[in-house]
Amino acid sequence: MTASISSFAKDQTIRLADVRKSYGDYDVLKGIDATVARGEVVVICGPSGSGKSTLIRTVNRLEEINSGSIFFEGQDVHAQMSGRELNRLRSRIGFVFQSFNLFPHLSAVDNVAMSPIRVKGVAPAEAHEKALKLLDRVGLREKANSYPGQLSGGQQQRVAIARALAMEPPVMLFDEPTSALDPEMVGEVLNVMKSLAAEGMTMMCVTHEMGFARDVADRIWFIDAGQIIETATPEEFFKNPRHPRAQRFLADLRH
Amino acid sequence: MIHDLIAIIDEYWLLLLIGQYPNGPLGGLANTLILSALSIVLAFPFAILLAFGRLSKYRVLRWPVTVLVYVTRGVPLLMLVLWSYFLVPLLTGADVPSFLTMLTTLVVYQGAFLSEIIRAGIVALGQGQMDAARALGHSYFSAMRYVILPQALYNMIPSMLSTFVATIKDTTLGYVINVPDLTFAASQVNNQLLTQPFQVFLILALTYYVICWSLTWLTNVVERRITRRRAGLIAPKRRGQFQTSLTPNATEQP
Repeated sequence: MTASISSFAKDQTIRLADVRKSYGDYDVLKGIDATVARGEVVVICGPSGSGKSTLIRTVNRLEEINSGSIFFEGQDVHAQMSGRELNRLRSRIGFVFQSFNLFPHLSAVDNVAMSPIRVKGVAPAEAHEKALKLLDRVGLREKANSYPGQLSGGQQQRVAIARALAMEPPVMLFDEPTSALDPEMVGEVLNVMKSLAAEGMTMMCVTHEMGFARDVADRIWFIDAGQIIETATPEEFFKNPRHPRAQRFLADLRH
Repeated sequence: MIHDLIAIIDEYWLLLLIGQYPNGPLGGLANTLILSALSIVLAFPFAILLAFGRLSKYRVLRWPVTVLVYVTRGVPLLMLVLWSYFLVPLLTGADVPSFLTMLTTLVVYQGAFLSEIIRAGIVALGQGQMDAARALGHSYFSAMRYVILPQALYNMIPSMLSTFVATIKDTTLGYVINVPDLTFAASQVNNQLLTQPFQVFLILALTYYVICWSLTWLTNVVERRITRRRAGLIAPKRRGQFQTSLTPNATEQP
């Protein structure tokens, strides 16, 4: 492990090396090689079924992989490790789900404060104070005592982002964070993500929001059939996509 | 007819209430309630353990527990009662009191049924809740303790209360192995009177009916409350540890 840290370029937060995964005969990921630098915002896009969500779920090991490795700050995420080590590792990778997955039995502030208290052992009063600050940051201070069932989809997703941020992760992963939202609520969630990016958060986002990709992403990974077939800056990608599959994807989006 | 019932109750109420106590073992209604309460209190944690076993990714845990649950659910309670009554002393050589035999059998039997209810409650939550908790760094058991079980058990309260009602009714089978419960006491009364079985067993039936009906009524109240709460009409009660000065509205919620 010491060797892997020293050989690891300092500015790389996440490195994927020949990541492969299959469900039975079906290959979902066919050798993904990529890196995410510190402070970089990467948007992963591609047609449905291309493996985007599976890929992002392997980064915090919600999905296992068949071969290859994924390094997070120099640590091999998929190496043999104790449950406790894996939990500690996961607590440092913020994850936002398509379906929010807020805990419906807890109020917004308790959703945000619970894991710092139960996982990191933060004092409840301190965790609450911080939770309220985070809710303020996503514009939901006044909803602190509401339950998820009383919040709109956009509000729920913003609470979910605050919940992930409460663990103070150096990196945030977003798995189609706006896909389950009504169109008029997409903006409020994207704005929170934009402000995060502006503050220098390292982010990996699977999204279909091409406006967000164009404005916020440092790089775009275009995935098709389990492979990254194009990596480009948004400018290059939207103006002049090289791969025919990407050209077709963008053409379809414009319709 | 009513007169007969009152006369019987007037004469034998103490026997029906506490059996031969203090001259013999505690029996009657008191013993029925104690047996029911103990069965429920012990079956509940046992059922949670069984549910964990059924959901475990480890076969060494999952398979034996699954077999236990299936066999227990697939055999009439009376068979289990007779088996434990005759087999346990035969195998261990120990003289087990019939109350203990009945209690153990009820805990295993009701535990098996309850575990399937709890398992269903956990499965019904979907993978998303567990994923969210694990992604935040919770261990499996921490996720169960703070995220999954509070929801699963709460959602399953009506089904669990029905099982508790069934447990109370099932204590009557203790009669066949001479557990001195309410049924046993009623049968003693009948043996003394000889001529009024209908009246005696009507009293017995009414007593069970009142107990079970009260619990069923409670089940319905709870069920309605849960439905209303889900509709957002009443706010859920807050957990004590999360009430701080920073969330002043917390204590004002009904």
